[in-house]
Amino acid sequence: MKVLAAGVVPLLLVLHWRHGAGSPLPITPVNATCATRHPCPSNLMNQIRNQLGQLNSSANSLFILYYTAQGEPFPNNLDKLCSPNVTDFPPFHANGTEKARLVELYRIIAYLGASLGNITRDQKVLNPYAHGLHSKLNSTADVLRGLLSNVLCRLCSKYHVSHVDVTYGPDTSGKDVFQKKKLGCQLLGKYKQVIAVLAQAF
Amino acid sequence: MALFAVLQTTFLLALLPLRTYQNEVLSEPLPLTPESLNVSINSTKQCLHLQWTVHSLDYHQELKMVFQIQISRFKASNVIWMGNYSTTVKRNQVLHWSWESELPLECAMHFVRVRTMVDDARIPAPRFWSNWSSWEKADAQSSLGDQPLYVFPKDKLVEEGSDVTICYISRNHQDNISCYLEDELTYGKQLDQNVWAFELKNVSFLRKSGTNFYCKGRGIPEGVVLFVSKVLEEPKDFSCETRDLKTLTCAWDPGKDTGLIQLPSYTLFESFSRKKTLCKHRNRCDWQVTQDPQETYNFTLVAENYFRKRSVNILFNLIHGVHPVAPYNLFPKNVNATHATMTWKVYSIGNNSALLCQLQLLGEGKVIQQHNVSVRVNGEYLLSELEPDTDYMARVCCAYADHFWKWSESISQKFTTGEAAPSEAPDVWRDVTFVSGHPTVTLFWKPLAKVHTNGKILFYNVVVENLDEPSSLEVLSVPAPANSTKVTLNQSSYQIHVTAHNSAGPSPASTVAISGHPGNENVEEGRMNGTEDGFPMSWKPQSRNATGYVVEWCDGPQNLPCILRWKNLGPTTTGTVISSGAFRPGVRYNFRIYEISTKRMAHLLEKKAGYLEELAPSYNPQVVMSNLTSHSFTLSWKDYPTESQTGFIQGYYVYLKSKAGEKCHHGFEKTVLPDNSVCCKYTIDNPDEKTFVVKALQPESVYEFLVTPYTSAGEGPLDDFTKVTTPDEYSHILLHIILPMIFCVLVVMITCYLKSQWLKDKCYPDIPDPYKSSVLSLIKFKENPHITIMNVNDCVPDAIEVVNKPEGSKTQFIGTRKSPTETKGTKPTYLDLLPTEKNYSGPGPCICFENFTYNRAASDLGYCGHFPVTPQAPPCQLGPLTSPENLLKTLEQNYMNSLGEIPAGEANLNYVSQLASPMSGDKESPPTNPPEPALCSEYKMQMALPLGLASPPPGEDSSLSSTTLSDPSQRH
Repeated sequence: MKVLAAGVVPLLLVLHWRHGAGSPLPITPVNATCATRHPCPSNLMNQIRNQLGQLNSSANSLFILYYTAQGEPFPNNLDKLCSPNVTDFPPFHANGTEKARLVELYRIIAYLGASLGNITRDQKVLNPYAHGLHSKLNSTADVLRGLLSNVLCRLCSKYHVSHVDVTYGPDTSGKDVFQKKKLGCQLLGKYKQVIAVLAQAF
Repeated sequence: MALFAVLQTTFLLALLPLRTYQNEVLSEPLPLTPESLNVSINSTKQCLHLQWTVHSLDYHQELKMVFQIQISRFKASNVIWMGNYSTTVKRNQVLHWSWESELPLECAMHFVRVRTMVDDARIPAPRFWSNWSSWEKADAQSSLGDQPLYVFPKDKLVEEGSDVTICYISRNHQDNISCYLEDELTYGKQLDQNVWAFELKNVSFLRKSGTNFYCKGRGIPEGVVLFVSKVLEEPKDFSCETRDLKTLTCAWDPGKDTGLIQLPSYTLFESFSRKKTLCKHRNRCDWQVTQDPQETYNFTLVAENYFRKRSVNILFNLIHGVHPVAPYNLFPKNVNATHATMTWKVYSIGNNSALLCQLQLLGEGKVIQQHNVSVRVNGEYLLSELEPDTDYMARVCCAYADHFWKWSESISQKFTTGEAAPSEAPDVWRDVTFVSGHPTVTLFWKPLAKVHTNGKILFYNVVVENLDEPSSLEVLSVPAPANSTKVTLNQSSYQIHVTAHNSAGPSPASTVAISGHPGNENVEEGRMNGTEDGFPMSWKPQSRNATGYVVEWCDGPQNLPCILRWKNLGPTTTGTVISSGAFRPGVRYNFRIYEISTKRMAHLLEKKAGYLEELAPSYNPQVVMSNLTSHSFTLSWKDYPTESQTGFIQGYYVYLKSKAGEKCHHGFEKTVLPDNSVCCKYTIDNPDEKTFVVKALQPESVYEFLVTPYTSAGEGPLDDFTKVTTPDEYSHILLHIILPMIFCVLVVMITCYLKSQWLKDKCYPDIPDPYKSSVLSLIKFKENPHITIMNVNDCVPDAIEVVNKPEGSKTQFIGTRKSPTETKGTKPTYLDLLPTEKNYSGPGPCICFENFTYNRAASDLGYCGHFPVTPQAPPCQLGPLTSPENLLKTLEQNYMNSLGEIPAGEANLNYVSQLASPMSGDKESPPTNPPEPALCSEYKMQMALPLGLASPPPGEDSSLSSTTLSDPSQRH
């Protein structure tokens, strides 16, 4: 049994492991216990709206900073290189219930947070002196983390949802530099587009 | 065991024929074909990696062989490279060989084959190539996905200045693809149906984050990033040193950055100990000295990156490279005015070796003293010959005493020496003015130079010593930083001593002597010219016992408060140059040269005035023109101050322009002005002559004149001419007649206007109004407070006839008396001339005046009655009744004459007014009743009547009075 636990389980884990990608998990059942580490503030939805507004207001400048730092051909081929056609991006339905919208928001923020982490890591290597871009990426990631926490708090406190299945974008660490730049640009283009919708929806 | 024995036998049997075969090979050359050729691709390095074996060799046989390799691209027949590779080969040895492709391997399929030939000296010729191995294919394209466009190589690292080939593979043949290096279109060549290559020559470094190369067709652009590295430089200035004989630090200049994210590595290698260390920094590296100290080191520094390896070497002796750590705890000790002891500590080196320390003393940034001190742990040195109250800085650095190589970093400490008494007397001068015969002395002194103050000057002591009264001593203390004080003295001789004091004591005294009487101030002022260096001046000594000379001047212009300056000169000096940064061109400076006697008394020798540089006058005088006649006028500019000009005024130019362009008169000369106009110019060469008469002018002509001063530098501005027009010859005569006439007419008109009422009264008087009669004022003047005017209504002219006749005639009028209502329409006017007694209610004496404006003859025919006057007449009637005094006198005289006939005993009189004409009272109201003989139509001199004669019946009196009061509006 020990041999099985020591050898087979890791083997299965390795076989099913994809770097940077998570497998979907079901939403916590309603009757499951849901506890947050800290008490949720009373004005959660206001905070969520404010954070979405904050992200929406800075998304375009982040996008511009990014593609400017990559050099040509990015600034002059935005429609092709930075088009927001990210295939596995989590969907969002603005006409759903609040719970459904919050769950979708959670997935999107989780996806964006991970992708932004990849972009930040890549850009620190590729553009070590683009301090403005690094700062903007970091501050956006900070707000995304806060937003993620607030959405989870809301889901947990009102809808008793403590876990939401999430997916992540492709890991760029093994890709060539041009692809890293392109994927980052596409992701930020998508981010700019989707954050506007989210800010409007809440 | 049985099985083992069988196998061993089989093995030995197999070896036997092999041995036989080996002997045959060595005896005759046999071609050895490469086998098991395997080709792999290293995309990162763009290399084809080949490996193969030669199975045909004997065991333990080593042969030197040559392998010929052929590489084809796209198809086997398209050989693009062929070369040889020589090596020693053992049996079954796997041989490795790599080939770097300039074209990215992903863009083309490659084929490789190998053949071999023995190239060993032990094998006799002839030698033959073996057969070619079969073509091995290297196909990187098969691993590509189904993207429409691929660009290779990915993330290529190249050195600046090298060439690089980039290619793309397009799946869509119809797509028109263009490629760019950053934003510059690049042209390539087609290698295959789907493959294009672009050769980039001499690539240059663009940015650390790489250079983008991308291709775009109709789909999404694809690209690669080229990382261009600058050429790695050889480390410069490689040197090693030790701070403590325990650790070596080697440092170098790595040169310019390669511009890559991947930094080059630096490795330090020591050949004697054969140790090496990977350096953590790109410009220095630490090396630990072992317990058993090695004296000499042979270091090699190797800098290496992807493309290059650079190395530098140094032979280093540990003792010769000691660079001590900076000393510490440097402090001054026992600091006084001239001495200070400096102490400091050093870090010990090795086995407590001695250090050579250098102590420097700096003042105002310069090294004043420098001392070397041998120190093991604690250093100390006494600094002497210091200046009092001076800021110093001590600086210490140390070096290894056994073998000097380099000073340590230095440490420094500031300190200030103590104060000492000022070393020199202040430079004192005085300005003496006499007020009411008493000298008032203003003493000035210059601040002592820093080198002489020896501390902060706190105050100045001024001791005034009266030489005539030795016991009289006055001491003043003037706090610093004042540099002057004022002393009022008597008419005695004085000596004034000035000393400067700091916290350590007083300076030597500076003495000036003052005489109680003014000296000789009547020295003629000389002139001098300044130069670039200042004002050079010289003088003649007056006495042989002079102890010195003082030149005194003011730094500012004359119109500004004097900032007194002076210069002390020695007794043998008879000339100097006075220079000052405050001197300005165009400003007059006055100098006074004094001789100082042995008693420190100053005697004025000379006065001089001068300009550093004379300038042309900046403005012209205000000229007053007078005495204008048809042939001349006078110009005057007496207010022009010649002393405060921008140069010595040498005279004046008088410019005269005439419109007629006449010839210049005597003394004038023709000149052309800067505006090319011609005018006449007269030169006045006496600066004190400030009037000028312009003569010989034409009457009724327009002239323009200008007076401008001139100095040695030029004349004043020529831009403000004044126009003047000469009158005609007779105008002044007319002027003398017409003006007085106009004046007289004006006076007459004004007089007439002002006295029009008076004239009217005199020439065309109105019908007299009793209320306005001047007689009222006469009455007032006679101090009768109860004057009033009889109302017309009250007037009953026919009641009493006032006749200065015997009483017999009195009764004739009684029967003709009318009631007041009956007389109302006639509006007779009655004038109350003299006051009656207050308590008197009955009739009193009255006077009847004759109005002279009426015909005397007619008046004689009229009647005139008089009535008792009521004392209750309103007081307001008295207001306007004022009249000139002379008229009063005239009246008085006339009336007194008339009264002279009245007995003197009758003091109280009633005046009976004469009845006015019905027309006289109100011109506008038509007469309602025709004049009746019974009414008074003229004024007539009234006669004073005895009280008894004029008394009406008491009952009627009271009724009349009440009527008068009840209707005042009827009065006029």
